[in-house]
Amino acid sequence: MSALSLRRVAWSASLVALPVVVGAQDSVVPNRGIDPLSRLNESTRYSIELLFDSAKVAGLPTWPLESKALEGITKRADGRRIVAAVRLVFRSLREARSALGPGATNDELTAAAGALSVGITTDELARLVKSRHEKQLTYPLVVLSDLITRGVPRDTASQTIFQLWQRGASDDDFQGLWRGVERDIVSGTDPGVALLNRAREIPSRGPPTAPPASGARPERSENPNP
Amino acid sequence: MTDELNSLDPYVRELVGEARRPVVVDPSARHRLMEAIRLEPAPRRRSRVLDWLLEPRHSSLSPVASMALAAGLVGIGILGGLAIHRDGRLSTEQAPPVGVGNPHLPDSGTARAIRFVLIAPQAARVSVVGDFNDWDPSANPMSAQREPGSSGVWSVYVPLQPGLHTYSFVVDGTHFVPDPAAPIAPDDGYGHRSSVVIVRGSSL
Repeated sequence: MSALSLRRVAWSASLVALPVVVGAQDSVVPNRGIDPLSRLNESTRYSIELLFDSAKVAGLPTWPLESKALEGITKRADGRRIVAAVRLVFRSLREARSALGPGATNDELTAAAGALSVGITTDELARLVKSRHEKQLTYPLVVLSDLITRGVPRDTASQTIFQLWQRGASDDDFQGLWRGVERDIVSGTDPGVALLNRAREIPSRGPPTAPPASGARPERSENPNP
Repeated sequence: MTDELNSLDPYVRELVGEARRPVVVDPSARHRLMEAIRLEPAPRRRSRVLDWLLEPRHSSLSPVASMALAAGLVGIGILGGLAIHRDGRLSTEQAPPVGVGNPHLPDSGTARAIRFVLIAPQAARVSVVGDFNDWDPSANPMSAQREPGSSGVWSVYVPLQPGLHTYSFVVDGTHFVPDPAAPIAPDDGYGHRSSVVIVRGSSL
């Protein structure tokens, strides 16, 4: 190969590869220079800011509320609907906080709020908290909400997830469970049957540890699945 | 002829007789021979292309061209590393940390580049919106892959902080589509379905 050809190859490789690599690092930081809620009319904005204040007083994170409002703006919902959606998030977060206790992380609160919105009760959430074993509830709650949304009967989903949680199932277990059930449902298996079959494949990870006496725990625990 | 034979030495005569004796061939011998030939691997011939590739030759490269070649190879390597599919993800691909923060989430660790993928052959443009970009459709437009056999595959890498994120795809600016490969988020309150991704990190 001549030197000229090699040069052509070198320049072509660099010209092709470098822009793609640079393009892979898209910035996600939103433009915060403009208040995103300024797109709301005055009345809607006032109602939402009241909910923000209520959340702060209750010790709840406000960003899920703001995110819900922005989601509504992007989805071109009218002001009344946006306020209703934000209010629902606020109520769900408040109930989730009540059920999970003050030690719950923001992710757990968000996941629990989602579970409440698909019909899980605060008693069921509290039962999960009581049998917690120093692991985050985020994964099981996200999977629980998804399963119910996909058609698994509420009671079947709740009991199965609770049993797996008690048996010490890991985040990977819940992730694998979700993937398997989703695949089975797509293949035509009854959602409830799919869940029960897949849950049987998960081995017990040991007896659950006793819950902490106070029910409180650190704000954020270490990653259980490094 | 017979007289000549008789006049020969007995030993020679025996040899001649042995040579003249008709040979009896086993009827299956031909078949066995052909079978043995078939089983014998054919000799491999080096192709002309291989000969051309293996032929030693001299080449020269300027320092600038060498650096450009090295940069290109490193870029391809990085791209390949980012594109490796890994287990241990709930929905989208999670690449190594890239160190970009999200003002919405607690500073609980290093961000990870998450690859969002949607197959939408009919779409003219696709983007991902979620709590990580203020649901802004212009923040993270997705690119269509140009390789043969992968038309209609839209993807984008987005750095996300560890934690729970809700998101959706926006197709052609108006259609909100949940990620078929991720858990479904509960009702969004606006009549659409969204998806959930959990980014693992030091705090989750």
